[in-house]
Amino acid sequence: MMIHVKLLANYREHLPPQAKNGGVDLDVPDGTTVREALSNFDIPLDDSSVIVVNGLTVSLDTPLKAGDVVSAFSAIAGG
Amino acid sequence: MYGWHLKLLRVNLTAQKVTQEDVDPKVARAYLGGRGWAIHYLYNEMDPMTDPLAPENVMIFATGPLTATPAPTGNRYMVVTKSPLTGALAHSNSGGEFPTWMKRTGFDMFIFEGKLSEPMYLFVNEDQVEFRSAAHLWGKDTHETTDILLAETSPEARVACIGPAGERLALMAGIINDKHRAAARSGVGAVMGSKNLKAVVVMGKKNPPLFNAAEMTALSVDTSKNVGADVKKGSNMRIYGTSYVPQVTNTLGIFPTRNFQQGTFESTDKIDGIALKEQYLIRHTACYRCPLACGRLTEVPDGDYKGKGEGPEYETISAFGGACGVSNLAALIKANYMCNELGMDTIGAGMTIAAAMEMYEKGYIPEEVIGQPLKFGDHDAMIEMVRKMAYREGFGDDLAMGSYRLAEKYGHPEVAVTTRKQEFPGYDPRGAQGMGLLYATSNKGASHMEGDVAYEEVFGVPIKEDPFSTEGKPELVSHFQNSFALIDSAGLCVFVALRYVFNKDRMIFPLRLSEMMQYTTGEGYTAEEVLKAGERVYNLERMFVLKAGSTVDTLPPRMLNEPLPDGPAKGMVAQLDKMLPEYYRLRGWDEKGFPTKEKLEELGLPA
Repeated sequence: MMIHVKLLANYREHLPPQAKNGGVDLDVPDGTTVREALSNFDIPLDDSSVIVVNGLTVSLDTPLKAGDVVSAFSAIAGG
Repeated sequence: MYGWHLKLLRVNLTAQKVTQEDVDPKVARAYLGGRGWAIHYLYNEMDPMTDPLAPENVMIFATGPLTATPAPTGNRYMVVTKSPLTGALAHSNSGGEFPTWMKRTGFDMFIFEGKLSEPMYLFVNEDQVEFRSAAHLWGKDTHETTDILLAETSPEARVACIGPAGERLALMAGIINDKHRAAARSGVGAVMGSKNLKAVVVMGKKNPPLFNAAEMTALSVDTSKNVGADVKKGSNMRIYGTSYVPQVTNTLGIFPTRNFQQGTFESTDKIDGIALKEQYLIRHTACYRCPLACGRLTEVPDGDYKGKGEGPEYETISAFGGACGVSNLAALIKANYMCNELGMDTIGAGMTIAAAMEMYEKGYIPEEVIGQPLKFGDHDAMIEMVRKMAYREGFGDDLAMGSYRLAEKYGHPEVAVTTRKQEFPGYDPRGAQGMGLLYATSNKGASHMEGDVAYEEVFGVPIKEDPFSTEGKPELVSHFQNSFALIDSAGLCVFVALRYVFNKDRMIFPLRLSEMMQYTTGEGYTAEEVLKAGERVYNLERMFVLKAGSTVDTLPPRMLNEPLPDGPAKGMVAQLDKMLPEYYRLRGWDEKGFPTKEKLEELGLPA
């Protein structure tokens, strides 16, 4: 199934070169979890990472559906 | 004394006389400094019903005990006064270098009373204080003013001044220090202008002595190391400054778009931190003694929007970008530079223009009145409105009164997105419920910096809260409000303080901050005590605001009644009624939001 992964701000550098507008389409097996989808990228996930699916915070072990947008960013302070 | 000088300078502008006063150590201890001391003095010395632009309004500049100490970001000051925009309390915060230089004069605080008979500036060089003519400066922008003042006083001095906007009493006028930093919100620049005070220039060498210099230095170094470690890992605040935030709020569907008619903006990519870095960033900059260095030195090298300066920050991108529907980053940067030079709050200016754009598009304000078309996305019209607003020229006279009075004047108050007549910051509360409660109850009107629960609702710092839920938000908001009052009274910057001197619990706990306070002042502060002091400051401010007649805690109609039409929060409204009663209860206030006698006694406040 096709999903979309957006990596924001300093995570963007972990996207493949063909990525446009900070995101890339990914073809993954049905039932792939958020965690599994993100393992396709070399992002240094730690406790400052914020991951949202379609804008909502969910557990990283949540299975994705076709068309889901997974966004990730690192929040070191706000503004 | 340690940390504090325990000395204030009382400036009688009417008589052009200054007196030095000692600060009662018991008051100093109970109210911490900065924002806390300021409300104690304001509450005791002025009638909260005073006209904010009359000479009787008292304006206070206040540093904290940690200002000019080794603490990372120990370099902040507050401008506290009654606001002409909100009719409630103004407490605006700024960094740069001015705050440390002000503390080094040997005075913790300046209290300005009355009104000068003609434009002047105050030059404070330790005990040598002079009133000097500003006739040659009146009308000049903040950059030119700063250059002239440094030349005629000393390159060792630092300057806080108003521009044409403050001189003309525009309600979004701010006070600009070090050219690129601002105590911006709530019209504090208009108060300074109403007193004919063009600038305050400070210099000195009186660093405050520390109670335990060795421990304070060690703790400060360790804290800076922690900041440095995050920067090394790759901190968005260092790489992009706050300009990384538009992508985050847009992804979560809470980025102000076209005067809050939407929560996602289709052109966010054109105005975000990555675009800024790729096209206009020279390098990062830092306030004095800050290891995070989130400032942006930027330049538009040529073309219609040519200029150089600092910024834009997230709030500026929110107000001039999303809210005005503008996707031209160079023009947005130009509007930012103009606000610094003319002395205006970018949030107030941008959000007011956004409201005017909506009213123009809906036919509520005729084109002849504005003098030209004013559609969303028209960045050249936006820039022209910024200029007109600062000079109160033509339609700019209407804009200078802020979006609430503008919308009311033209018969459509429902267009104004304000609380206490102050414009919203860049987080739509329909998709961040805690922020809605914060805006509704803040002593300074709609503000994110009075208790920024977006740290948890949006950024997950220190932990992620569900922004759509109202559960637990009353306790979170009141705790954050108390904690931010503490930070603002101590003299630190929130960006470093929140993450590095509080424990990483949901209800952030100021353990390391209290240790810094203790090593600096020797007053025996515990974490519980400094937090209590934050609560004390917050409640005294609340009493001032209520006595000023600003008794209604609510949100504007758009937030309560118009569901977001797009994004992850589609269909949602701000559910203030689910949070406000519990908030009052937790705070120890009655059902009308008035602190009870028991609460006031508990905090040692006058009834």
